[in-house]
Amino acid sequence: MAVISARGLGKTFRTKVKAEGFAASVRGLVRPVWRSIEAVRGIDLEVEEGEVLAFLGPNEAGKSTTIKMLTGILRPSLGSATVLGLDPSRDRVALARSIAAVFGQRSQLWFHLPPSDSFRLLGAVYEIDGRELVRRQGELVERFGIGDYMDVPVRKLSLGERVRCEFAASLLHAPRIIFLDEPTIGMDVVAKREIRGLLEEVNKRDRVTIFLTSHDIGDIEKVCKRAIIIHHGSIIVDESMKSLKHRAMSRKIVGVKYAAPARPDIPGLEPIKRTQDAVRYEVDTGRHRIEEVLRFLVAAGEVLDITVEDEPLENIIAGIFEGEDRGASLAAAGRAAAGTRTEAAPPPARDEGREA
Amino acid sequence: MSPLALVLRKYLVAAFVSLRNKAAYPGNLLGSLLSYAIFVFVFSRIWGTIYSGRAPIAGYDGRMAIWYFIIAEVTAFGFGRFFISLAQDMKSGQVAYLLSRPYDFVLYHYADRMGAAIPEAAVLLALGLSMGATFAGPVPLASIAQAFFLLLSLLLAGSIQFLLQFSLAMTAFWVEENTAFFWIYQKLSLVVGTLVPLEFLPAIAQRLAWFTPFPSIAYAPARIAVAYTPHEALRLAGLQAAWLLASALLCKAVFALGRSRLTVQGG
Repeated sequence: MAVISARGLGKTFRTKVKAEGFAASVRGLVRPVWRSIEAVRGIDLEVEEGEVLAFLGPNEAGKSTTIKMLTGILRPSLGSATVLGLDPSRDRVALARSIAAVFGQRSQLWFHLPPSDSFRLLGAVYEIDGRELVRRQGELVERFGIGDYMDVPVRKLSLGERVRCEFAASLLHAPRIIFLDEPTIGMDVVAKREIRGLLEEVNKRDRVTIFLTSHDIGDIEKVCKRAIIIHHGSIIVDESMKSLKHRAMSRKIVGVKYAAPARPDIPGLEPIKRTQDAVRYEVDTGRHRIEEVLRFLVAAGEVLDITVEDEPLENIIAGIFEGEDRGASLAAAGRAAAGTRTEAAPPPARDEGREA
Repeated sequence: MSPLALVLRKYLVAAFVSLRNKAAYPGNLLGSLLSYAIFVFVFSRIWGTIYSGRAPIAGYDGRMAIWYFIIAEVTAFGFGRFFISLAQDMKSGQVAYLLSRPYDFVLYHYADRMGAAIPEAAVLLALGLSMGATFAGPVPLASIAQAFFLLLSLLLAGSIQFLLQFSLAMTAFWVEENTAFFWIYQKLSLVVGTLVPLEFLPAIAQRLAWFTPFPSIAYAPARIAVAYTPHEALRLAGLQAAWLLASALLCKAVFALGRSRLTVQGG
């Protein structure tokens, strides 16, 4: 059953353009110039109950705007969405009872008070009965190991401790969907590992649907089962993490260190790095058999060390973003050369309009 | 717990947590108390000099003028700065994140801000009463009914202040810089009933003032303190209740219209 569904969902922001100089400021009062920014351009998506979805994209791709529309914070400019059968912008309050939103750069805990006060407030906000609140809080405190600092002011907690409290607080009302926007931003490796473990546990144990945006590929690789990539406000990839990883596995980075200077030569392959006694190749296994590549490398000299690595997923995803940008630039250049305007071509990210 | 009790608890706990947060830094209250004490001291000297050997002005003798100022300033110092933090929440985009919760947005903020403001106003009132007893003579509260009306009137004044300032803060949905609106509001509030009683204003200004909410903000509680009659107290409290309703409707309307214009780009 789809718990999140969007049809042609889009959002356009309008911001006033501020030109330099006094004269321009006066002109701006009489005839303001507005800039329209299409943050999200009519996306379609369906998320099933219990899914762990990575919603990826570079900065300004439209990730956070999409989350804000799905949680009822922003009203869409076009299209529609349903979350747990509710219209987020119309049924914001009803929907808020069944979802949680964790924004990595915003805290829901009172900074100068201990987490227990914030838990009490959130329990009241979500209208959880007193005894039930005590039970749920006790369970979360134990599960997240936060008992020792429930009475310590949040400002005195380490980032990892604070995030654990933050995450436990967001589960207090037993949400069916958790939207996480950059949950591990600014964290060290230990805190990141903790939060990923907690996400996995919550998904497996409570069958909570997780909608995660993150720039941290580690979050995605460890936690998510499906990836949607959004770029310039449009969805460009929607596939399983397995399939995305398969793309990474089809490219290998092969490195060899020789005992003496050597210069291997593999037909059809150029090294990505070469020194007197070492060389690295990027091998597309669809075009070159790895066994053949290794044979050439071993034959070139006495081998001290050899490594074969999958290309990092981060590179694959960056390649997808760059490929899109290159495609858009080529299309624009083509249109300019032909002197034509094509509706189907990817539009620019921003367009300017004038309004009196 | 009944559904109504659960809803009420939501706002009571919000007020209580806000109070706890305020109490975490009691030093913040000192600044407010000190400014208020300086204002009261300076104005009690000024009124003392003005009234020296003079007959009452517009029905107020020197003692009444000082007590009027003390009470009127409680509403200005205790409830006069909601706009600053609300506008900050609007501009920083924090307001957007608070929208994803199951509560009445205006009521939650009312509970949150008043939870911290009421105790502060109570401390200011206690300071004002003790300073007034020193500079102007006995506290002018003659009956429990008068004390009740004074406290009710102060609460209504604080609530009107909150709702009007919340409405002003939400103009950020339309204009990028709205501090000027608050500046005008503050100055009008100061002139119309805070610094001096309404009766001191020219006749035309007095007549116009009654069409504005400002007499309900400072004049009403101060007048109840210095010239109490049951009839006058009821009339002023009724006027305040009407302005409270009007301000609440304005606030709701501005929020409903403004929310659709909410713009928060990026994470």
